[in-house]
Amino acid sequence: MFGMARVAQAKPWWMRGIDSNETDFLPPDVAFRVAARVEGNVVKVRWVIADGYYLYRQKIEVRAESPDLVISAPALPPGTVKTDPYLGTQQVYFQQVEALVPYSRIDAGAHPMQIKVTYQGCAEAGLCYPPITKVVFPTVGSPASVTSVPPDSWESTAIIAGACAFLLAGLVLRKGRKLDLPA
Amino acid sequence: MKTAGLRYFAAALVVLLGIWAGLKFHSVHRLEAPGAPVPAGVAGAADPKENAAMEAVPHPVIPAQLPEFSLNDLSGKSTSIGAWNGNSLVINFWATWCAPCRREIPLLKTLAADWAGRDLTVVGIAVDFPDKVREFAERFKIEYPVLIGEQDALEVAAKFGMESPAFPFTVFTDRRGEVVALFVGELHRPQADFILSEVQNLNQERIQLPEARRAIADGLEAMADKHTG
Repeated sequence: MFGMARVAQAKPWWMRGIDSNETDFLPPDVAFRVAARVEGNVVKVRWVIADGYYLYRQKIEVRAESPDLVISAPALPPGTVKTDPYLGTQQVYFQQVEALVPYSRIDAGAHPMQIKVTYQGCAEAGLCYPPITKVVFPTVGSPASVTSVPPDSWESTAIIAGACAFLLAGLVLRKGRKLDLPA
Repeated sequence: MKTAGLRYFAAALVVLLGIWAGLKFHSVHRLEAPGAPVPAGVAGAADPKENAAMEAVPHPVIPAQLPEFSLNDLSGKSTSIGAWNGNSLVINFWATWCAPCRREIPLLKTLAADWAGRDLTVVGIAVDFPDKVREFAERFKIEYPVLIGEQDALEVAAKFGMESPAFPFTVFTDRRGEVVALFVGELHRPQADFILSEVQNLNQERIQLPEARRAIADGLEAMADKHTG
């Protein structure tokens, strides 16, 4: 059992430093990142799972949070079968998983859509997190609009400002050189 | 020439200002960008700011001395941790739904048996529903003391600096109640034996606490290197 290399790396607190929260294990919201988006009449809830961590399939739940929302049971893909001598055979997800949740709305979208997701997972190195429940606001749009970083106006402004400064500097320098030319 | 020099100086100043502005705004943008990178084609976190906050969670405060607390035992009787004053303690925080916690139980039973009568007590603290814990303890024949709690047990975990705990984690104290080690994750026999040998050195006053902590840190790191190397 001790052959699990990463288990041996679990450090006691003084190796991390009393004033530090750094551990070999990730905080749960970093180990398991969840987001949702709406596509047609389906909410797609996706979990991104850090390397060395997994989520239990049977612990995933999705419920309606906003009052006008009616959702069906989430459709989940088959997971990887994991057999534990103490907990039996379970399906788990590594890396990422997406649940498809059909929905309908009573008031045609007068309220912002909110869902409540529950999930539970562990680190393969021998640590389990209690079940996590979060309220998620699904975004509307294509996958690209969810994943892409929106253009930042500050950066554009900074680049233009820098370019203008160089142009201005060039003009001033050019003018200066003319003045220095020998007669 | 003097005017030209001034113009050169002014131009240089403008250029530097431009570069500074570019760098400044660029760095501001990066600081405000969402936290951890997400694989391509994968939805980002629901709330990047929340994730960024999670990566900078408040510093845990680990007590130097075993804090006082009471929780119910398997029979429902409130029991103070002070009941074992004068003993070295192995306090194991666990839950029935946690696979690595369940894997640790045989080791903890063995430690309790091996150290019986030598002023060392294994205490389990189950952060779970009492019925489930009682059923589990019976099924797996746990004979060492087990305390149970839900929110109250989470508050005890927080007293050890584990504000948002994950399980299992194990606290080792010497017989004076000094917190010698807090081990996060599944514990294995070589690690437990090594930590307990240092606890014994402390109890017999062969070493002082800082020396014991350093020895444990070095020893565990060497074990980790051996298994990763």
